[in-house]
Amino acid sequence: MTVLELDAVSKRFGGVVAVDGFSHRLEEGGLYAVIGPNGAGKTTIFNLITGIYQPTSGSIRFRGEDITGLPPFKIAQKGIARTFQNIRLFSHSSVLDNVRTACFRSSSYSILEGLFPTPRRFREERMLREKTLNLLEMVSLADRAEEKARNLPYGYQRRIEIARALAQEPKLLLLDEPAAGMNPDETRQLMDFIEHIHKTFKLTILLIEHHMELVMGLSQHIVVLDFGKTLASGTAEEIQSNPAVIEAYLGSGEEV
Amino acid sequence: MSEYTIGILILACVNLISVLGLSLLTGFTGQFNFGQAGFMAIGAYTAAILTTRLGAPMAVAIAAAMAMSGLASVLIGYPTLRLKGDYFAIGTLGFAEAIRLVIENFDKLTGGSRGIPRIQTYTTLPVALAAVAVALVVVASYIGSTHGRNCIAIREDEMAAEAIGVDAFRYKQVSFAINAVLAGLSGALLAHYVGFIQPSMFGLVKSTEMIVIVIFGGMQSLTGAVIATFLLTALPEVLRAAMAWRLVLYGVLVVFIMIVRPEGVMGTWELSPRNVKAAFARLRSKARPERAGKAG
Amino acid sequence: MNMVLQQIINGISIGAVYALISVGYSLVYSILKFSNFAHGGVMMLGSYFGLLGLQYLGLPFPLAMALAIVGSGLLAVLNERVAYRPIRNRNSPLLYLLISSLGVSIFFENFTIVTIGPNFRTYPPVLPTDSLMFGGLSVGRLDIIIFVMAAVTLSLLTWLVYGTKIGNAIRATSYNMRVSRLMGINPDMIVALVFFLAGASAGLGGVLFGIKYTVWPQMGILTLKAFIAAVVGGLGSLPGAVVGALLLGTAETFAAAFVSSAFRDLFSFALMILIILVRPAGLFGKITEEKA
Repeated sequence: MTVLELDAVSKRFGGVVAVDGFSHRLEEGGLYAVIGPNGAGKTTIFNLITGIYQPTSGSIRFRGEDITGLPPFKIAQKGIARTFQNIRLFSHSSVLDNVRTACFRSSSYSILEGLFPTPRRFREERMLREKTLNLLEMVSLADRAEEKARNLPYGYQRRIEIARALAQEPKLLLLDEPAAGMNPDETRQLMDFIEHIHKTFKLTILLIEHHMELVMGLSQHIVVLDFGKTLASGTAEEIQSNPAVIEAYLGSGEEV
Repeated sequence: MSEYTIGILILACVNLISVLGLSLLTGFTGQFNFGQAGFMAIGAYTAAILTTRLGAPMAVAIAAAMAMSGLASVLIGYPTLRLKGDYFAIGTLGFAEAIRLVIENFDKLTGGSRGIPRIQTYTTLPVALAAVAVALVVVASYIGSTHGRNCIAIREDEMAAEAIGVDAFRYKQVSFAINAVLAGLSGALLAHYVGFIQPSMFGLVKSTEMIVIVIFGGMQSLTGAVIATFLLTALPEVLRAAMAWRLVLYGVLVVFIMIVRPEGVMGTWELSPRNVKAAFARLRSKARPERAGKAG
Repeated sequence: MNMVLQQIINGISIGAVYALISVGYSLVYSILKFSNFAHGGVMMLGSYFGLLGLQYLGLPFPLAMALAIVGSGLLAVLNERVAYRPIRNRNSPLLYLLISSLGVSIFFENFTIVTIGPNFRTYPPVLPTDSLMFGGLSVGRLDIIIFVMAAVTLSLLTWLVYGTKIGNAIRATSYNMRVSRLMGINPDMIVALVFFLAGASAGLGGVLFGIKYTVWPQMGILTLKAFIAAVVGGLGSLPGAVVGALLLGTAETFAAAFVSSAFRDLFSFALMILIILVRPAGLFGKITEEKA
């Protein structure tokens, strides 16, 4: 089943074309990567999928449903979760609260019930707390649950952000440069972690990454972007041997 | 208790109801409301007109006051809360001034700038305490609920909140409505405590006073809001002569707090059984240095 | 017909004063993205500086004006240095800047009440107040002078922002502070300059308002008009602030003349709500998408 389908999506900012007629399909359970030099339009594509930007033209379908132009919170509720390139946590809240806030699928009491201390509400809150702690356990953050998110080291904050995305029980997970700022050791751990959540949660994952080792090691399918256009698309081997890619990106970059 | 003390207590309770709403809206949801006095004015005038002109019972007057003020929040919130930027702050400031003008100019109904005299003083200490208790339970339970967490998420990072499925516009409106309803209640009680109302009681100084209390104590702590309200209500009553200097000092303190400790004097600390136990445990370990050494 | 023309002239004259205040507010908003509530306090003190120069130091009018303009400009710079920069440097939420500016505003207003006194003061008659007749149309000479002074200042400001290298740096900083630093611009210098320009033009606005009407410690509330004008024109847009202010001045004058003077301010508020309902970005603003 096709999870996400982008059809000739373009985005212009004034005169600048950030994304130019981008089309792609993500099949259920796949692990995809978008690579490309800075300014190629990778993050813009994430912002278009999640509704932060409205596409100038083209359409986006999620599990068969047209989601073009929906506000970000509706798209999130439909089952697309993401992380941000420059980590956006609720920094004065605890790790527990950061993740718990995203568990909207497991809380059903209304705003009106929120105003009064009803027994049903306490029951639900207890379940929510347990569920969140379980999730934190899985990402090895349980022992830091009560600490403020902003007091944790960078690598932990990345993990909190991923845990927060997982708490949404998404069908599609978008990871924006998850390995940014990590050393090789941490990157390897992260690779294992992404593989682990990919399997356990039966997710479709799309990630943006500069780190070639991570991309080539993980992804079943890679899209190379350049100046807002698709330069190449295929498996890791196909990409690595594609002359256009080598010319434009792999050949000149020191990041390989 | 002397009548004077009781008076200050009632006034503090009345202020606290308004401050609790503002704390939810500005402190916990991050939306700066510069026109709280406008909503208190709507509550005060609605209730006072009902009890003095129509002889309505206090309960009906209070309900109407809360409803009118809540309705006003929808009218102001709908256009301004959707937009990114300072539209809401400017909108509430403008709204409070507009309300004052309306009251001053509809003198047939409101008595104009001379106000409404001879209002029945229904607001006794038990009434004020009961109202505060209800307001406190409602606001505290809301903040501790999943919906309250959504509000905090919006304050911390609106885009990230939307990205995890929080309808920010809706939650901002709800916080604004709860704030307005409480401000309306506070206004109604104020009118029926003081016994007369005038538009000048609901000017910019009143709005400023409310927001200053929230900044001092309650940006992220209801306990702080309670303490700050009682302190800042009692203080000016005691130091009446130094009114203007008090405001000079408030101004300096607001800047100082934003620079040094923007989360308010109390931070995020709340007076809950668990936190009290933890505080006592800390105190005990301090008393015995050999244990403190291990912890450090 | 004459009546209408008359009102338009009156409206543009008061609108030009609003524009002086509004432009500075917008300039600061475009760089730091928060509403500087202390702007009104700076304007009010600028007006008092002018009065001080004229009445107590016995300065000639041009020198008193210069004192007010430079004084309020420097005051705004000092205000930013003390109350905003420490918060900016920590990358705190914009809300904290807004609240700090509220604190400064409370301080300015009440410090003035305590030290100078709460009463209204009037400027000595430094400018002619008689009227000129243009074929049955009487126009106050004061209004013309005010308009010309405001127009000259606004033109200078526009030239500075759009026609000079410094202006380029200001606009680059407003577009993106981090990137401007990479381009070799010192953002703190630009911010200080912007506050000086904002304070100076507000100071001039305060003096002109004081000459036409009066001076009092709470006159900072006039900035509400400047805020509304800026919203009508498009938050953060300079031409928007000017056009919004002129429009607001005219609309208000009409409302006062033909409906009721008591509802003048109500009218401007209603205008603002209407504008953001119909065209949220204002007349000149672009709806910008936040960067993720």
